[in-house]
Formats: sequence, structure tokens, C-alpha cells
Amino acid sequence: MRGLRTVFVGLLALGLVAVAQVEITFWSAPNPSQEVFWRQMAEAYMATHPGVKINVSPMPETPTSEAGILAAIAGGVAPTASENVFVGFGSELVKSKAIVPWNAFPEWEELVRARNLSSTIKAWEFPDGNYYIIPMYVNAMLVAWRIDILRELGYEKPPRTYSEVLALGERLKAKYPDKFLWLRSELEVPTWWQRWFDFFVFYYAASKGQPLITGNTITADDKAAIEVLQFFKTLRDKKLLITEPLATGFEVGKTVMTVLGPWSFPWWRENYPELVYGETFVLTPPPVPDWYPAEEPIYTFADAKGVVMYAQATAEQQKAMWDFIRWVLSDPEHDLAWVKITGMLPARDDVGTNPLFTAYIEEKEPALLPYAENIAFAVPPIAHPQFVEIQELMGLECIYPVLIGELTPAEGWEAWKAAIEDLLK
Amino acid sequence: MRKSRRKKFALLGLYFLATVVLLLMISPYLYMLLQSLAPWREVDRVFIPSSLSLHSYRWLLGGGLSTLPRPWLRAWGNTALVATTVTLSRVLVGALVGYALAVLSFRGRRTIQNFILFHMFYPGIILLVPTFLLVRAMGLYDTYLAMILPGLVSTWAIFMYANFFRSIPKEVVEAARMDGAGELRIIFQIMIPLARPVTAIVFLFLFMERWIELLWDMIVVRDPAKQTLNVLLATMFGPYGGYAGPLYAAGVLLTFPILVLFLLFSRRFVSGVSLIISS
Amino acid sequence: MKRQKELGGWLLASPYLLSAIVFFLIPLGWSLSLVFFDWNLISPTRTYVGLGNFREALTSTRVYNAFVNTYKFMAIIVPGVLASSLCLALIVQHLPRLKQFYAVGFFLPYLASGVAIGLVVRGLLSYDSPLNEFLRQVFGSSPRWLRDPLWATLVISFMIVWKFSGYYSLIFLAGLQGIPRELYEAAALDGAGPFTQFRKITLPLLYPAFYTVLVLAVGLCFAIFTEPYVLTGGGPRFATHTWQLEIYYQAFERFRAGYGATVAVLNAVATFVSILLIRRAVESWGAKRGFR
Repeated sequence: MRGLRTVFVGLLALGLVAVAQVEITFWSAPNPSQEVFWRQMAEAYMATHPGVKINVSPMPETPTSEAGILAAIAGGVAPTASENVFVGFGSELVKSKAIVPWNAFPEWEELVRARNLSSTIKAWEFPDGNYYIIPMYVNAMLVAWRIDILRELGYEKPPRTYSEVLALGERLKAKYPDKFLWLRSELEVPTWWQRWFDFFVFYYAASKGQPLITGNTITADDKAAIEVLQFFKTLRDKKLLITEPLATGFEVGKTVMTVLGPWSFPWWRENYPELVYGETFVLTPPPVPDWYPAEEPIYTFADAKGVVMYAQATAEQQKAMWDFIRWVLSDPEHDLAWVKITGMLPARDDVGTNPLFTAYIEEKEPALLPYAENIAFAVPPIAHPQFVEIQELMGLECIYPVLIGELTPAEGWEAWKAAIEDLLK
Repeated sequence: MRKSRRKKFALLGLYFLATVVLLLMISPYLYMLLQSLAPWREVDRVFIPSSLSLHSYRWLLGGGLSTLPRPWLRAWGNTALVATTVTLSRVLVGALVGYALAVLSFRGRRTIQNFILFHMFYPGIILLVPTFLLVRAMGLYDTYLAMILPGLVSTWAIFMYANFFRSIPKEVVEAARMDGAGELRIIFQIMIPLARPVTAIVFLFLFMERWIELLWDMIVVRDPAKQTLNVLLATMFGPYGGYAGPLYAAGVLLTFPILVLFLLFSRRFVSGVSLIISS
Repeated sequence: MKRQKELGGWLLASPYLLSAIVFFLIPLGWSLSLVFFDWNLISPTRTYVGLGNFREALTSTRVYNAFVNTYKFMAIIVPGVLASSLCLALIVQHLPRLKQFYAVGFFLPYLASGVAIGLVVRGLLSYDSPLNEFLRQVFGSSPRWLRDPLWATLVISFMIVWKFSGYYSLIFLAGLQGIPRELYEAAALDGAGPFTQFRKITLPLLYPAFYTVLVLAVGLCFAIFTEPYVLTGGGPRFATHTWQLEIYYQAFERFRAGYGATVAVLNAVATFVSILLIRRAVESWGAKRGFR
């Protein structure tokens, strides 16, 4: 009798738990290390919170992760929350009412304090005063140089100005005619997000971080932009920049310069262990035009993305996800795990000062130090909801014609500005 | 003597030419196979690898360590599942409806025939977006059914079977009827066995067509676990750019089963081709 | 008895009818209304725009390029595939033995997925491929294959010709086999050489096959999708953009269902009208020369 009752109660409890269990889905970025991080977090959370089932899966990535998310929303199968959203995409989602503001939850202020976001979060405020994205990471894009090859050419440190880069290029071609300075085949293809990793990087450096578009107006530094375009063209004309499709360049020493984000490090560790920071490669901010003041810091592009919650989720699911996210982000140890697993720096005010992080970086991943140092000089992506067209047109109307010599850099730049006039209204 | 000598040379020359052309025609398949078995440093760098390596296959089927792991083998299974189900259905329905139209006479037969012609020649591209919306409205987005349901019937198959059954003398059917055979018996025990050459052709063509379908499968399924191999390969075309070897291996997985299938059935195929041409 | 036959007929046809109603008629009807709306699949709203979609499509550079490119591809693919498939058929026809072997062999390209072949092409044309290395050694430079508008068009056209030559050669083969041998023997007796025989007997009698292949090849050019999708994305600067690429881009990458449906309608119209005009032209050309 007693035994039966226990069994019955046990089954009932199981049943209640099963019924009371909320199932939520989280999409991690299409980067395996990020998926690993979130899976670990989910498993740890579920171990101590039995009422929730969290499904972590990588988001689709073709044709782009943004298109994949939109496709899911369009198909009615959006996840509860996902990462990998930047401010521009966020504004597109807000326009379509597809995501919910995080600050609507009561514990918002608490989270901002717990994760040391007070300063960082300011850049993520949307025009309507809400916060739709909780930033996960800020990657200041830096330029990597094959210092081993540079040393062979007589350089102890990498060049800083365009003329210095061109001089390096000449010496490179003299000694290794088959090598190139920079492989960037995407420069001739108008894929919108590739602009982040070529034009934007050099432009923000040359313009001291002058935003390209503020609100609905073009606020770009024309002189700097044209200078950058001219630089690309010169490099290409001198066969220092190769824009043909080529599988690998920097990693095998075919090129000596590349724009690099810290997500490459886990991948390099596995496939190219010969690339050692300080020995084989070094990191610097992007090269700048010759007239750039010698002692001033150099700006760069910030690849910064965060977590959003989708409106298609039920209130119950949203609450469960909010609790999970709060749990993940409130513990600095979790952010340290983030650094260890993904190689990227978490978006926190204290990432450069908190001994928890600095101790690890100094010891295990010194290559991250320059990234931490440059966060303050990194400019986030364009926040305009038409970012796809704006950046696509940059490639189509400006960069490609300039590179093939159809337009001068000045003409190309004006062409882009004219092309996006209608979009900005 | 001299004339036959010249003829012999000419013939040899022709065979030589034919073989060269043949090799050129199938060279992409050979290249794909060779590159999939090449050591990674040599992929796309040499035509014929210096040594053979299974690294690409192991990497592909093991999921690839640090780059986007994807269920390649499962995708192959998805392709096989979808192609087989859809083709079997198309062949069966084609035979049944073809029989009904060719052999039976019933009111409305003419209308259905005309409707099928209208359907066959209606530009399918116009239906692409609304069919997607329909599938979505039915709650089938991102499911196997989305890939299977819309394609269960082929007007071409109906057309082929109807044509063939029409060519069969009426006496055959009448004799069977007089023996007391029911309609289904006639279809399955007489007509379909007779239609073997048509079935071979129809099955082979429809199967191959469905196997290499890209657009529709790409539109309705986004979950990599459910995607067909063709779609998965297309989506990984860019991201795996630096991993050409495994991509070639995936290409081999995708292409060679169909090649083998066709080669196995080449005799049936050839005998049935004249049927297609005459249609 | 008759009632049973009636029922039987309808019963057997029912799977088709059911499928046709759900997956043909319903979308057909839906498409008629879709084109008049601006419907973004992400937003919950849908606005009526009347002919706005058509206006946008007819003034869009992208659609214009897709339209023009079809004829650009046609100019290369149609003659290319006619010539190559005829050659293949002639080769097979003249082989006394192993006809089947070679015919099937030539047909094999048709079985490939455009994605898999795209892989091969990308590999063969990448900067440090053996082909380009060789070209650089011999000529000093290698073409910017997929980055140059002309080369990209040629590459894609070549891929398509390769794919369909064997398939279309079967049509020519059937046509060739239908020509009675006596005609050739009689011509030989009259002193006609092989080339004259070819011009005066083979070609004219191949007219029906020629016509079929022509129409198929033309129609094929309106449906080019996979090759540019994986290799060029429609570039460089829309040089290889096609109707289907545009429809896919608008409806499934920008999620504009109404506009995408509109472009599809325009595609269908362009296909229909073009094929009609070409058929008329070929038929009148054939009639003038006495072909059937």
C-alpha cells in the first residue's frame, strides 16, 4: 500500500514537472565555439532549474545569419532568444516588431549592475529609449601581420602609415614576387557584411572614428573615405592586394597582412598551431593615411553583437529565458568561460581592469590584450534599419568601380552617397 | 584494299575522338573524385594527387572539429528519403491516372485530360511564392512533409503512362475483363508489368530530378538536420570555402549514387529513351 | 456496370485531382492576388499597392538585368548546345559498335547537381589552381574568371552547354536514326560526297529534332538559377543575374512575397512571349525552305 502510494505520488510529481516544464530555444551564433559555450551554460542551468528545458542550436547561416533569423520569423518558427544580433539588425527587427525590450523586465537594472554594463550599455540604447539587445561581445577589429616574414624583410615592427605599407610591399615583392601583401577577395563582391571587415576598418582608422551615418543623415568624413579607397586601389594596382578567389593566404604565409578578429584564435590553434602571437604574428590597429598625427590613437571597427528575445515567444517562455540569461550574465566566472571557449572578450566595462580576466589573458591568451586595449577606440556598426542596402551599394556603386578603374575614388564615393539618398529618408 | 584500310583508320580515329570527348564530358566527375581523395595541401592545386587520402571523408563524416559541424551523412539520408518517397508516389499515381485516362471511358475524362495539359504547361515559377505561403499556412514550414507533399504527383508521368497505355491494343484489356478480372487486377497484374520500359524511364528521370532539386528544398527547410544534401552543400559552399576537400567528398556522395544508378539501368534507359523522344 | 466505370475513373484520378486542387489551383488563385500587395513576411502587416509592384519591377535595374541576361545567355547557349549535341549525335551514329556505351556516357553530365559541378568549377578557376598557374606561365596572366562580366557569363554558359549536350544529343540521335539509309545510298550513287550528303539530306531531315532542341534550349535559359547562385551570386554587378535569382532574392532573402510573385509573373510572360516569337520565326524560316 505504502509502496504504491509512493509510486503514485512520484508519478504525479513527474507529471506535474513535465506539465510545468517550460521549453525554450536559444540560437547560438554559427560559430562552433559560441555554440559550445551556450550548451555548457544551458546544461549547468538545467541541472539546478528542473522546470525549464533549454534547446541550444546554432542559427542558420545562409545566405546570412540575419536572413536565417528573418526566415525563421517569416516561417513562424523563431526561437525564444538568440545571440549574434547587432544594432542595425536590431533596428530592422524593432521596425517589424519582432523583438521585445529587455528593460521591460523588472530585474533589468540589477543585471546591468551585476555585469558591469552601465557604461557599455549606453551605446546600445535604441531611439525609443529601450534596450533591445544585451551586448555579448565587442571585438575591436585589428590588423595582423606576419612578423616572421616582416623580419626577413628588415622590419622590426609593422608599418603604420599608407606610405610605410607601400614601402613594405615593394620590399616584399622584391624578395618574394609570388607573395602578396593582403588577400581580400571579398572586396570585389558586394556582400553587405563583408564591408565591416575591409572598408569600415580602414575608414574608421582614417577618420578618427567619424560615424558614416547618424540617424538619417550621412555624416561621413569624405576626405578620409576617399583616401582609403585610393589606398585600396593603389595596393591593387601594385599587385599587393589580391582580390581573386584564393582559399588561404595569411595562415600559409602567402600574404603578410590581414584584418583579424579574435574568433580566429581557437580555429588557428587547431589548424595552424605554428601561428604564435609575438613570434609569427603581431596585432596592430589599422594603417592610417600619412597625414594622420603620429601620437594619436587609431580607431577601428567594432564587431559587436548581443542577445535578443523574440516577440513570437509566449510570456511564459520569455520569463524563463529572461531568468536564464540573467543567470548566465550575472556571474563573472561565466564571462571568463566565454573568453576561454570563444576567444572573444565579453562586453563589460571592467574587461581590461578586472583581475579575473586580465590574469587569464596575460597568461593564456596574450593576443587578446591588444583587443582589450582597443575596445575604447572601436566604432560599432551602422544602426540604420536599411543597413543591407546601404552596405551592398557601397560595394556595387563605389568599391568595385573604383577598384577596376571605372571611377576615381572621389567619384565612387559620391556615387555611393547619391545611391543611398533615397534609402535614408 | 586501300579503301578498307582508310576506312579502318577513319573508324579508329572516330573511336579515339569519341573517347576523348567522353573523357572530357565526364572529367568534372573524375576531378571531383580525385580531389576528394587528395591530401589537403594538394586540393585544387594539382590535377592528380600524389597520394590518396581519406582525410576529407573522415573529416566530413566526423563532423569537422572546429568548423561548423554539419550532419552530412544525415543530409544524404534526407535526400534519399525525399527522392524515393516522392518518386515512388509519382510513378504510382502516374500509372493509375494514366491508366484511367487511357483505358477507361468516363464522363469528364476529356476535361481532366485538358486540365492536366493546362497544368503541365502552366509556368511553375508563378506558383513558387504562393505554394511557399500555403505550406507555411499549413504549418508545414521546415518539415519533411513540406518537401514531399507538394511533389507527390507528376503530370509528365501521367502523360507518359497515358501515352503508353493508349498504345496497348484494346483487346488485351477486354480479354482480361472477360476473364472476370477487376480493374485493380488489370492494372497491377497486366498493365503495369507491360509498362516496364516506361516505368524504368519515368522512375530514373524523376528520381534524378528530385535528387538534385535545390530551389524548393532550400526555401522550405532551414534546419540543417532536415536539409537535403544538395541544399546543405549549397549552403556550406561559402562557409566551407577553405575546406574544399570535404566539400568534394560531399559532392561525390551527392553525385555518384545517381551515376551508379543510371549505369546499372543503362540498358533499360536506352530502350526507353525512344519512348521519350517519340512523345 | 457503367456507374462503376464512372466511379472507377474518378477514383483512380482522385490522387491527381486532390494534389492539383491543393498545390496547383490554390496557389494559382493566390498568386493572382499576391501581386497587388506589398507583403513583408516578417511584419504582421500587408498593404494593397495596386500596380505598384509592377511599376517597381519594370523600372528596376535588377529586373532589367535579369531580362537582358536571359538573351545574353541564349545567344551563347542555344547555338552552343545545338552544335555540340548535334556533333555528339553524329559521333554516336557513326560508331558501328558501343553506340549505347558512348550515348549513355555523353548523357552523364545531365545527372549532376549544379551545386556539385559549381564546386568543381570554383576549384578549377581559383587563383592558384593548376589551370591558372599554367595560364600564367604561358600567357603571363590568368583571366579573372568569375569576376569579369564576360568571362563569368561564358563560364556559366559553358557549364550549361556541358550539362545538356548529351541529353539533347539523344533527340538528334533519334532524328538521325529516322533517316532512311536509301537516301544516302542514292545520293552516293549520284556522286554526292559526305559533306553534300550532310547538307542536303541530314540537316533538312533533322529539322524536327532541331526545332525541339531549339525550343528546349530557349526555355532552359529562362530557368537558370543554380550555377549563378553558387558561383557568382548574380554578379559581377548583375552580369549573371537571372529571373529566378531575382525571384529568390526578393521573396526569400528580402521576404517581399508580393513583389517576388510579381517578378515571377513577369518571368512567365517573358518566357511565353519569347518562345512564341522564336517558334514563329523558326517555323516561317522552315516553311520557306520547305521543311515540316
